[in-house]
Amino acid sequence: MLALRNRDKTGIEALYDMYSASLYGVIARIITDTPTAEDVLQETFVKIWNSFSSYNTEKGRLFTWMVNIARNMAIDKIRSKDFKNQNKNQDLENNVNSIDEQRNTVYKPELLGIKDLVETLKPEQKSILDLVYFKGFTHVEAAEELGIPLGTIKTRLRMAIQQLRKHFN
Amino acid sequence: MNFELEDIKAYIETGILELYVLGDVSPAEKLQVEEMAAKHPAIKAELDEIERSMELYAQKNAVEPSEQLRSKILESIIPGAAKSEEAAANSVAPKDNIISMPSPNIFRFYKYAFAACLALLLVSIVALVSLYHKLQDSNTQIASLQLDKQRFANTVSLKDGELQVLQDASFKFLKLQGTVHAPAALVTVAWSPVRKKVWIDMHSIKMPENDKDHQYQLWALVAGKPVDLGVFDANPDSTDMKEMKSIASADAFAVTLEPRGGSASPTMDEMMVLGKF
Repeated sequence: MLALRNRDKTGIEALYDMYSASLYGVIARIITDTPTAEDVLQETFVKIWNSFSSYNTEKGRLFTWMVNIARNMAIDKIRSKDFKNQNKNQDLENNVNSIDEQRNTVYKPELLGIKDLVETLKPEQKSILDLVYFKGFTHVEAAEELGIPLGTIKTRLRMAIQQLRKHFN
Repeated sequence: MNFELEDIKAYIETGILELYVLGDVSPAEKLQVEEMAAKHPAIKAELDEIERSMELYAQKNAVEPSEQLRSKILESIIPGAAKSEEAAANSVAPKDNIISMPSPNIFRFYKYAFAACLALLLVSIVALVSLYHKLQDSNTQIASLQLDKQRFANTVSLKDGELQVLQDASFKFLKLQGTVHAPAALVTVAWSPVRKKVWIDMHSIKMPENDKDHQYQLWALVAGKPVDLGVFDANPDSTDMKEMKSIASADAFAVTLEPRGGSASPTMDEMMVLGKF
């Protein structure tokens, strides 16, 4: 952290090594095209580096701040004009799963626990959580996409995260 | 205090904290959550729990970006940093290679494919040139063979003619004996009064060789007068039968040595052979 504040090389290296895979996991699920997703990861780290002074430890965890930057940049990219031109019109929900299938080999061995994690989440909880967390949907958009009332979305989102909390504890 | 706790619990129950962590709140809501968190440690703790679990969830769903991307991104942030990065990356080279192999491999494949194509092209050109030369040789051979064939055909038709002479009963053969000028000389003449044809058998001819300026001339004596029957050369190479000018009747045949091309009347001094029927 100190290294980052002092704009030290080792700071950004450590930050990259710690968080690039987690951030890329989010970006790669929003953007299926690998070169574009890699571009966005780069832009994300540049932005993190340049606006690091605006991050306030009081307001929350570093990763929360970073993942929101990454998600917003990915969404901006996917909604930009030139990206829409080459949009592949994949079904969004399937997208998350197909990405998981494609990337299976890249998973770290310690992430094998993902299977039972998925089982702790009910399908309707997971689909909402993934839509918002990994697809960058707002809960309003998720409600429209799934045809579910807003209140239900909020409740399911909260239940999903509580399940995760239980699982990780 | 109690009332306030109820309030806080209700606030947490709304799910606004989750949306805040997910970045799915309006600026006003964001400000409100941050104020509440600053005021109430319970909300702050709840927020922290949510953030922690989402961070773990992201870790569980992490996707490792390609190795090359690391130095590319670090280089774009701090120029020059990548150099030491690459050195560091090289020390863990085996792991590095697993991801970076495919593209260089494809490049190398095309490189080799291109080289192979070039080599193939060169070999083809060499083969084509040598084939072209062989074709030309063959063409020359065919031409010379055709020439040979023509010659053989000529010879065969000539021999055919000779054979006819030999088989034809109407031909008479006359040996012209040497005179005082050339006692050893001998010329065989075949003559058919029916066909009015005269041949000289060049094979059995025995005459002194004539020089460039002179030729032998054959004469027929018809009622005491010489009639020109054409000229010939006496050289040892000639083996066939030579057809001379035609004549229907003759008492005798003679050969004289005359200037090349022949004379209108025979030079009697140079009469070499003479034969009478």
